[in-house]
Amino acid sequence: MNPQDLLQLFDDRALAAVAPLLALAIGIIVLLLSGVIRAFESLRAPIVVATLAFTGWLVASNFATVPGSVIDGTYIADRASSAWGLLFVVATLLAWLFSHRYYAESERPFQVEHDVLMLTTPLGMMLMAGAANLIVFFIGLEVLSIPLYALASFRRSRARSVEAGLKYFLLGAFAAAFFLYGSSLIYAATGSLQLAEIKAIGLHGPLALGGVALVMASLFFKISVFPFHLWVPDVYQGSPTPVTALMATGTKAAAFAFLINTMFMLPKSAALAVAVVALVTMALGNLGALAQTDVKRMLAYSGIAHAGTVLLVVAGTLAGDPESSGALHAALFYMGAYVFTAAGAFGLLALLERDGERFTTLEALKGLAQRRPFVAAALTIFMLSLGGMPLTGGFLGKWMVFSSLVRAGLIWPAVVGALLSVIAFGYYLRVVIALYMQPVSERDAALPSGQTSAGSAAPAAIAAAVCAVLVLVMGTLPGLFLDRLP
Amino acid sequence: MNVPSEHLLYLAAGLFAIGVLGFLIRRNVIVVLMCIELMLNAANLTFLAASRQHSTAQAANLDGPVFAIFVILVAACEAAVGLALIIALFRLKQSVEADSLSEMKG
Repeated sequence: MNPQDLLQLFDDRALAAVAPLLALAIGIIVLLLSGVIRAFESLRAPIVVATLAFTGWLVASNFATVPGSVIDGTYIADRASSAWGLLFVVATLLAWLFSHRYYAESERPFQVEHDVLMLTTPLGMMLMAGAANLIVFFIGLEVLSIPLYALASFRRSRARSVEAGLKYFLLGAFAAAFFLYGSSLIYAATGSLQLAEIKAIGLHGPLALGGVALVMASLFFKISVFPFHLWVPDVYQGSPTPVTALMATGTKAAAFAFLINTMFMLPKSAALAVAVVALVTMALGNLGALAQTDVKRMLAYSGIAHAGTVLLVVAGTLAGDPESSGALHAALFYMGAYVFTAAGAFGLLALLERDGERFTTLEALKGLAQRRPFVAAALTIFMLSLGGMPLTGGFLGKWMVFSSLVRAGLIWPAVVGALLSVIAFGYYLRVVIALYMQPVSERDAALPSGQTSAGSAAPAAIAAAVCAVLVLVMGTLPGLFLDRLP
Repeated sequence: MNVPSEHLLYLAAGLFAIGVLGFLIRRNVIVVLMCIELMLNAANLTFLAASRQHSTAQAANLDGPVFAIFVILVAACEAAVGLALIIALFRLKQSVEADSLSEMKG
């Protein structure tokens, strides 16, 4: 390829498509440089916010102009990938706001490294959502995963944090190897790594189907679906809570974005099998959550159940949902609501967490409504939305998923799924009961309350409030979002 | 001597299986990391063999070798982060056995 051809690949359209990625990369480099020079330390927060805001603006303008498929068809910037991109930027911004003042004094000197790693993750997520080529997806996956391995064990003096990071790393690298071997088998069968070409050639024969099975296994690992969900509780519980918020929302959304782009790989006859896997995931997530006394671990299990619910839209599409973009709309809205709900819930836990352990247990939340009424109210909104209460964003997401199933004729999976979602209320309401209807336990009453003064945690508190409002707006005025879906 | 591409695919499948088995059986975290590298290289070998299968005398199919180069690059990054995590574990537990990863249960 001569230089002239190379220049032709990077025309104006291509530059517009990758502009958000470039903006993030430049922001990361500037942030790294600012970490070297002590005088620029106070610029850390403005750089992060400005980078994310500028990236968000570029993604939003891509949503309007739609550059389309660029760079020899390896990357796509259409309305769907731009909508996902906005979601990633918001998830990162929320997680970053919650990390403000979260870490102990001894970890503060490394705050720049923390922010650089956090700012790198949306770059990987966007590559995953826009990938039209298996190489691009793999690079995105690793650009997302490698910073998260480091972030999960960021509190490296704590055994739990290191354990979470190492477990995440070992299993994540294992899943990445599955993806690689799977895509190498697909390449051996079709001779191409472009999704569009693979789709045109079709996947037949044992080599190709084995490859698809391995690729799907690695995606199922990332979205934490049965039988690849066992790592989730330990990793979510051990990681610093703002990092957990990012993992639970952004990573999952990115993997779902790619899964929806690669659904064509699965044979139509797999619809029922996918539905059963999704329902088993929901059941295991709910059963696991019912047994927990630690709210952070409970939310990890609830995240597994939610992943199962979103996976149902894949089954609906395979079974022939007459609405061609039904799965995309349902997944986008569901994950949109989930980003605000789960990030808000984890964020509030981070806000309450004073010494890392005490406030994540159900015991410690007892009677919180008397001491901190606003925190309790917001946490209640998040719990009800996670459970799928009408008038919250969570309800509408569930409704879109189940109606996609019904349209496709999968009636019984829809019924079983709806019943399983009702069971989930059992543990969400337990949190609400602890907040409002139980007295402060005696052990806690002895401790002075409100050590984290509201002033120092203002960014996190504002972020949580915005999340709570958005969850309610998504539930009461869904038209604002539904009309803009791609 | 010209090795048929199918033989390379079988060899890669064998390497991948050894890697998976090792990952599941071995308890030393460094050996587990080596097993992951073995799986990555099985994928690389498959990419190269498949690229040869799909290339003709006129046009070489270079997608596979390009992917393999990216895999080597990423594997190096992964190993750097992974070994750093193992050092952090050793500092806390004086051990690199997988059994020392048992703080959280349930």
